Amino acid sequence: MSIDTVTAPAASRRLTHMEAVVEAIALEMRRDSRVFLIGQDIGPFGGSMQGARGLYEEFGAGRVLEAPISESAMVGSALGAALFGCRPIVEVSFGEFLPAAMNQLINQAPNLHYMTGGAARVPVVVRTRVGDGPYGGHPQDYVSWFAHVPGLKVVVPATPADAKGLMLAAIRDDNPVLFVEPMSLSHARRADVPAGDYVVPIGSAKVVRAGANITLVVWGSILPLALQAAATLSKEGAEVEVIDLRSLAPWDASMVIESVRRTHRLVIAHETWVTGSFGAEVAAAVAGCLPRVELLAPIKRVGAAPVPIPSGPLRARALPTSAQIVEALRATLEN
Amino acid sequence: MTDVRELFRWMVVARTLGTTLCTLNVRWFPVEGEEAVHVGSFVDLRADDAAAPHYRDPFVIYLMRGAELWRLVAQVLGKSAGYNKGRSVAFNGPFHLNVVPWVAGDLGSTIGTATGAALAFKQQHSDRVCVCSFGDGTANRGDFHENVNLAAAWRLPVVYVCQNNGWAISQPASSYLPAPVVARAAGYGIPGLTVDGQDVEAVRAVVADAIDRARSGNGPTLIEALTHRRRGHWAGHIVSDADRANAVERPDPIELLRARLLERRLVTEAEIREIHDHADDQVAAAVERANAAADVSEAELGLDDVFA
Repeated sequence: MSIDTVTAPAASRRLTHMEAVVEAIALEMRRDSRVFLIGQDIGPFGGSMQGARGLYEEFGAGRVLEAPISESAMVGSALGAALFGCRPIVEVSFGEFLPAAMNQLINQAPNLHYMTGGAARVPVVVRTRVGDGPYGGHPQDYVSWFAHVPGLKVVVPATPADAKGLMLAAIRDDNPVLFVEPMSLSHARRADVPAGDYVVPIGSAKVVRAGANITLVVWGSILPLALQAAATLSKEGAEVEVIDLRSLAPWDASMVIESVRRTHRLVIAHETWVTGSFGAEVAAAVAGCLPRVELLAPIKRVGAAPVPIPSGPLRARALPTSAQIVEALRATLEN
Repeated sequence: MTDVRELFRWMVVARTLGTTLCTLNVRWFPVEGEEAVHVGSFVDLRADDAAAPHYRDPFVIYLMRGAELWRLVAQVLGKSAGYNKGRSVAFNGPFHLNVVPWVAGDLGSTIGTATGAALAFKQQHSDRVCVCSFGDGTANRGDFHENVNLAAAWRLPVVYVCQNNGWAISQPASSYLPAPVVARAAGYGIPGLTVDGQDVEAVRAVVADAIDRARSGNGPTLIEALTHRRRGHWAGHIVSDADRANAVERPDPIELLRARLLERRLVTEAEIREIHDHADDQVAAAVERANAAADVSEAELGLDDVFA
């Protein structure tokens, strides 16, 4: 028995990221008959990466709808169903398939409430998986694109508890929410997840490790690497404050700014590419805020190499590593 | 069931309103020649059914569902009294009348949301249905194929009406339609029917059957209504004679029904004049009221209205 289990509250259990997401969906489907699931392979097969395990058995074909491979129709029909009183969850198996639904995700979902003068509501969750992972396929991470558009919420949980809490928040939200699961975390080691109703507010970041010397802002799959890097720096005498954004839209700018006001140093790390990524928004918010944040070193960003993420063993050379984060932290501290 | 004379009145309102809107806004999309498809496809829907019309001046469809004429005119004039606070394309309808919204200029995505309305009705075990119309140009978007296939696979209560007017902006159908749109129905395993889109009674009959089929749980139908765009893509767009020669001319749907009503002695010439005069008066009053209304202002920008 691990120490975590002993100290965990009685009401938590240890679940994987994926199990936590499925638990949230099942809880809300029991509570709210308007919620249903659309996706591929979510029937007896149990979903891509077992991401819908048990839902078909519990709720049946009437609420677990296996769709043709038609992402645009899946997202579009979910939006339409939401306009008329349902609360669908669409599973776009992998983030690489989101571009196939781009019209619905960008031209429709964010606009429906605003452009009907506030009359329409579209409580839709689009759930997807991105990045590197045990599955090996579909590694491209385009999530930053979606934070650009007003009207769409984007969440990227990095722990099983946040996965549950953010999924419950997403289903209950009256707006379209893109719920992104970093694949490398899907079946990573279990962690405590509160039982029962547990909601993490969308738009709230979290200080995962407190530190006085430098702020490290991350989201998604990079969190474990960031914590490793922070442990390394701690041995060298520098305390790193690790902030997990958890939500990219809306995002918790005030928590980040408040932290950098104390540490005066900022590194941003993410699995996706650096150019045009949401990390640029974080850097701009800190650099441009008033009253000014005093920075003792230039802001550094760590991300994937600027190539389409390759398949096979070559991929490891493209994706950011804990060592690169350590290097960026050291360079920023030396300045 | 709505009297055939009522269909005529609606078509006259559509023509009168459309002609006026084209003079008020050069970017408005003229409905002239296609009124029978608009009226015939949506007149038999219940108020609780969903309507997802083609973008080409669908105002008569909103009027049939109870929208206020002057507020629709206000949308075209950029007034705050429009149904959507001046935020969307002007042809977007009032959502509270169960109109599937137009919130972007891309074509085809409303086929998705319309299919979703039908999905909602099925999930809710209700007998509501959705009628979704779109052009022959739009029919070539992937959304058409994906959604008709999905609706067929799930037997959703939706009626798809392709309003084939022979044009996609400046291109004649010969440049993008290698086969009739209706032929695709067989590929999705659903009924496909062609109808004379200038004959409002014929359109209405074939759509009403499809609505019954959808309402009784027998899934979607694809209808291709052959019609004719008598003007340009937008009010200011002049179609050259050379281009015009590429299009199939079809009779004026209003003239067609007028002759038929007279022949059946359902109306007199005097009553027809009265119907036209009444439409003229209605539209003039609506334009006057809309013109006098306030322009959109900072209040409609709605920075706090992006999220529900």
